[in-house]
Amino acid sequence: MAKSIFIALREGALEGELAPALTIKDSVASPFGFQVFDHVLCQLFSSILAGKSPSRGLIVVSFSRSPSFYLELLKSKGISVASSDKRIQILDCYNDPLGWKDQLVESGNFRAPSHEALISSVVTVFREVKHMDKLFNSIIELGRGLVGGGKIRFSIAIDSVDEMLRRASVSSVARLLSNLRSHDQISSIFWLLHSDLHKARVTAVLEYLSSMVASLEPSHQLANGQRGDLENFSLIEHNSKKGKFHVRFKKRNGRVRMMSEEVHIEQSGINFTPLSSEGAINQGLVPKVQFNLQLSEKERIDKANVVLPFEHQGNGKPLQIYDGRRSLVDSKHVDAVENVETNEDGGRGEIIYYRDSDDEMPDSDEDPDDDLDI
Amino acid sequence: MAVAKTRTSSFSRNLSTASPSLGPGLKCGPNGTVLLSSGIPDLDKILGGGFPLGSLVMVTEDAEAPHHMLLLRNFMAQGLVHSQPLLYASPARDPRGFLGTLPSPATSKDDKSRGPEPDQEKGLRIAWQYKKYFGENQLNFDGQRDGKHEYSSEFDLRKPLERHFINGQRVDCVGIQDSPDLSILRDRCATFLSQFPRNDGSISCAGRIAIQSFCAPQCAYSNMEWEMLSFIRSLKSMVRSSNSVAIITFPPSLLSPSFCKRWQHMADTLLSVKAIQDDDKELAQLLTGYQDMVGFLNVHKVARINTQVPVILEATTFSIKLQKRRYLVLECLNQAPVDGLSGTSYGTSGSCSSSSKTGNLDF
Repeated sequence: MAKSIFIALREGALEGELAPALTIKDSVASPFGFQVFDHVLCQLFSSILAGKSPSRGLIVVSFSRSPSFYLELLKSKGISVASSDKRIQILDCYNDPLGWKDQLVESGNFRAPSHEALISSVVTVFREVKHMDKLFNSIIELGRGLVGGGKIRFSIAIDSVDEMLRRASVSSVARLLSNLRSHDQISSIFWLLHSDLHKARVTAVLEYLSSMVASLEPSHQLANGQRGDLENFSLIEHNSKKGKFHVRFKKRNGRVRMMSEEVHIEQSGINFTPLSSEGAINQGLVPKVQFNLQLSEKERIDKANVVLPFEHQGNGKPLQIYDGRRSLVDSKHVDAVENVETNEDGGRGEIIYYRDSDDEMPDSDEDPDDDLDI
Repeated sequence: MAVAKTRTSSFSRNLSTASPSLGPGLKCGPNGTVLLSSGIPDLDKILGGGFPLGSLVMVTEDAEAPHHMLLLRNFMAQGLVHSQPLLYASPARDPRGFLGTLPSPATSKDDKSRGPEPDQEKGLRIAWQYKKYFGENQLNFDGQRDGKHEYSSEFDLRKPLERHFINGQRVDCVGIQDSPDLSILRDRCATFLSQFPRNDGSISCAGRIAIQSFCAPQCAYSNMEWEMLSFIRSLKSMVRSSNSVAIITFPPSLLSPSFCKRWQHMADTLLSVKAIQDDDKELAQLLTGYQDMVGFLNVHKVARINTQVPVILEATTFSIKLQKRRYLVLECLNQAPVDGLSGTSYGTSGSCSSSSKTGNLDF
């Protein structure tokens, strides 16, 4: 359940352990990653504010969205940032990631917009997103500035790892994330990933680096990606409001916990509900074996129509058995063939049993082949 | 448990001279090889005594579980207990920190009833053909009671290894995260292995190399697949001509499939660890003792040096359990009796992807 994620992120890392890391993974078929990210962020921040967590502050590294979005988001949830500016800091990698605006200001062609006081106290602009080690240092500095040095911990939310991967290599991003996880002062960390923007290896790397993977999948798979059918429109409509939320937890004892829920997107936010079991597993009384013991209707009819190739066909005609000797007269052989053909046209089958003798013992010493009428 | 029989065939090396004198922690194996312990007595039994000197052991990790660390810890601790020098390479920031998590050998006064007590046996009347298996167990059990120079120790994972084992000059750590290529690691391995040249005389000391998570994504060289493969090849050739054993663990999901196969072919001994899903009702019905299991260990290849005869194991999948949360034990999988009414057939076919839920059950 989504709750266990919040609890894990809130509890943070034990002494000597790597910080729990969550990857939120979505795709075009189920694009609710941002909503889930916002939800997790608000939950974590409110528990930090309420003092329920050993983490004393939250650093948001925003790549995909403007910092003011986050401030608005928190305000809309009723969390006032003004009184809590000692608990959250936003590292702004959105406004000027490569330092171009800075260069324009220097050359005199550009006047930087002035921000209100609140924003500038909470937001720090970062201009060198190509250099992961500088990003690492800035994050740590910001965190230390927020909670102080020593043993006090803080949490980190990374808006979207995709933006980081645009500008830096996979191994440097991986190094950043693993160094963050192993840093003493970091309590928990989570990030968002759009899985269809990358090769499978990149997704595998990020899953390797995280201790929880939350993936969003559509509730109904669209057939072959066709988007034109009327039928598919209703499915798309369905998928745009809800989806499936799967979580894989790597527990401390080495086991993997898998959980699934349904997620609904509404105006007010996002809702997690337990999975409605569609198609409960029906265990019949017949044990599942690898071959089919039942006959279908057609098979039953066909079975009834089979003419058994025994001597007694029950139609009174004399039979000949071709035993391989050339001395048989050809005409008689032809006769036998004709017999067989007419029998097959009959369309009905019978098994007629001629009891050889009433007092025959099944295991008699006589040679049973004696009963054949050749 | 397979009883190891030494096969004398035309493919085995004939030892005409008396066996050479061996240092602590080493014993003679079949076909003129010398073995050292993996640190896990059960694994030694499965592999026919231990790891042969000169072999390369590779362990494929499961990205979802840290069981390869258990294997590494026992391997390294066993080496330190026998004062066998150790080289440890890890992608972590501080590799030395891992040494603090190494376990200490369990003292014999700890109560761990693994085999039947000798007194009990008098009351038991065991059918004569089974006595030979019990006899082997007895020998091992008695062997534990000797001093610290026994070949293989049972390690208590809750007790950290005493400092004096680690602080000696015999432990060397290398951080592989920041190096742009593998030349530094290769040089360190070469210098380390030059301490144990192989000649036909007695072996006073053997070395151990442990490389953890070799293709971890945070390493700068992790996308240089051919370089990593050539490193493994050169390490294998260096190890082969020295008296040492190297163990490399790597997560196969981060490699392309063809390289994953190539790496696996490089190994003399190939093991893999797999995670177990928690609360898996199907597995719980299928296997007894499911609650205590923490993972699966598969033995894919067993090193065969100086012989052409392969080893065919009775079972290749074992469950990893922590007995009393302290001792690592490997057990054969025991299938629970299938309930005909419940309708589940026990033909869960294992698929080979490391992320599959059902895993690779290979009885």
